[in-house]
Amino acid sequence: MENNREKHSITASYYPGCSLEGTARAYDLSSRAVCWELSIDLQELPKWSCCGSSPALKTDKLLSTALSAHNLNIAGAQPSDDLLIPCPFCFRRLLSAQQEMAEDPELKRSVEETVEGSPEKPVNIHSLLGFIHDRVGLDAVKEKVVRPLAGMRVVPYYGCYLVKPHKTTQYDHPEQPVSLDELLTALGADVVDWDFKTECCGAGLALSKTDTVERLCGRIVKEAKWKRADAIVVACQLCQANLEMRGEKKGNLPVLYFTQLIGLALGLSPESLGMKKHLISPMPMLKAKGFGEKRPKASRVEVGE
Amino acid sequence: MLRLTGSPTERAFSQEIIRMSGQDLLECLQCGKCTGSCPIASKTVTGPRRLIAKILAGMKEEALKDPTWWYCVSCGTCAGRCPVEINMYEVSTALCEMAEAQGVKPSEPHIHLFETLFLDSVKKGGRVRELKAVMAFNIRTMNPFKDMVPGMKLMLRGAVSPKDLMEKEKPDPAVARIFERAEERKGGHGK
Ligand code: SF4
Ligand code: SF4
Repeated sequence: MENNREKHSITASYYPGCSLEGTARAYDLSSRAVCWELSIDLQELPKWSCCGSSPALKTDKLLSTALSAHNLNIAGAQPSDDLLIPCPFCFRRLLSAQQEMAEDPELKRSVEETVEGSPEKPVNIHSLLGFIHDRVGLDAVKEKVVRPLAGMRVVPYYGCYLVKPHKTTQYDHPEQPVSLDELLTALGADVVDWDFKTECCGAGLALSKTDTVERLCGRIVKEAKWKRADAIVVACQLCQANLEMRGEKKGNLPVLYFTQLIGLALGLSPESLGMKKHLISPMPMLKAKGFGEKRPKASRVEVGE
Repeated sequence: MLRLTGSPTERAFSQEIIRMSGQDLLECLQCGKCTGSCPIASKTVTGPRRLIAKILAGMKEEALKDPTWWYCVSCGTCAGRCPVEINMYEVSTALCEMAEAQGVKPSEPHIHLFETLFLDSVKKGGRVRELKAVMAFNIRTMNPFKDMVPGMKLMLRGAVSPKDLMEKEKPDPAVARIFERAEERKGGHGK
């Protein structure tokens, strides 16, 4: 097993971002577990910092670009040319900073003076979803599936930052994206089409304008329920938290990370994927669908040979 | 057209926002696709189209007090649907920078407070401590028990750790320095 894994392994730098070591541990845990299973050797960037998120983007262009540039400089000093970012906001911000500096020499100069350095090499920035979908590939994922998610009705929710604006993220489609649909289909899930794939959840207004976020998330969760979904599947921890906390007063529709579903299909236990850390527990739904227990290890030895 | 006339001082404002944001607002057709797509537009938050109209008409004070750019979550929906590819969140940043530089009182104090506390946390420790920022916000807005029940539940399930609240930030000198230098340069860039 071990040798087989090494032979195919891809090394990539990993930028988890603040939420994944704060309120979104389930996303971090499941991302790391799934990358391990998919033979992606994640190397966390040493001393990475916050990208400034929406507060820096809103208030101070130089600071915002500089915080991203600081992390790009760290990434440029690592052996891998690829940088994987699970958080769509961090992904878009770092990518955008790279583009903005390439287009605007004056900005580039101010930023480099602010961070006191420039990258040793430019890195290729990927969202984790994009990397798994495009680089690892659906066939390779499919080959490793040992527990197809048959009978699980899911609605894929992409949110904004991963796909919008397309000019910046260059990923999938801003209105009708399909990559997450395709991935979930490859896992054997029953993927339901709907119109809310990229409707905004209200993002960073969760605390300061809670009523706006409740209005936006309310519509999304209502539609998902009307579609009789067993779960909403997301690629963003901000969407996850908003839909779970602000979608309904007493919500009961699980909101899961795509990495958790990959993990389940690859035979990992719900617990190891952080399924027990959710505010809306997916455990009753998972048990009802036959995913409550860990699959015995012995049965998956031959898979992926 | 109105936007091409007006006194030089009125035009100076729109020119400056266009330059800072890199968005050619003179191209705007006032079609309203942006506001129609904007998740935060409402009866009281009138949305990007009207904000652009204010900018082009040289209504500086009104534009710098417009809640739209405070609410803007940079979702990017408008940028994708706009027939002339105007990206509104770049305009939001330009207005926010100008409002701050000119000491305009934030028209949305709660959003402003959250953003300030968030960045304070990053400045202190290099990374944001979400829980601390949330607690600080709830206390400052005199709503200390907001989201207490879900918060406790998450803690019990091990999704968040009480350590996040208690532990002091480990300073990241490189990041603190970036903040300092960006502060020093304020006014330098964007002028
Ligand atoms: S969509 Fe574009 S052209 Fe139409 S009103 Fe908005 S900014 Fe102007
Ligand atoms: S980027 Fe801002 S202005 Fe544009 S649609 Fe989103 S919230 Fe509205």
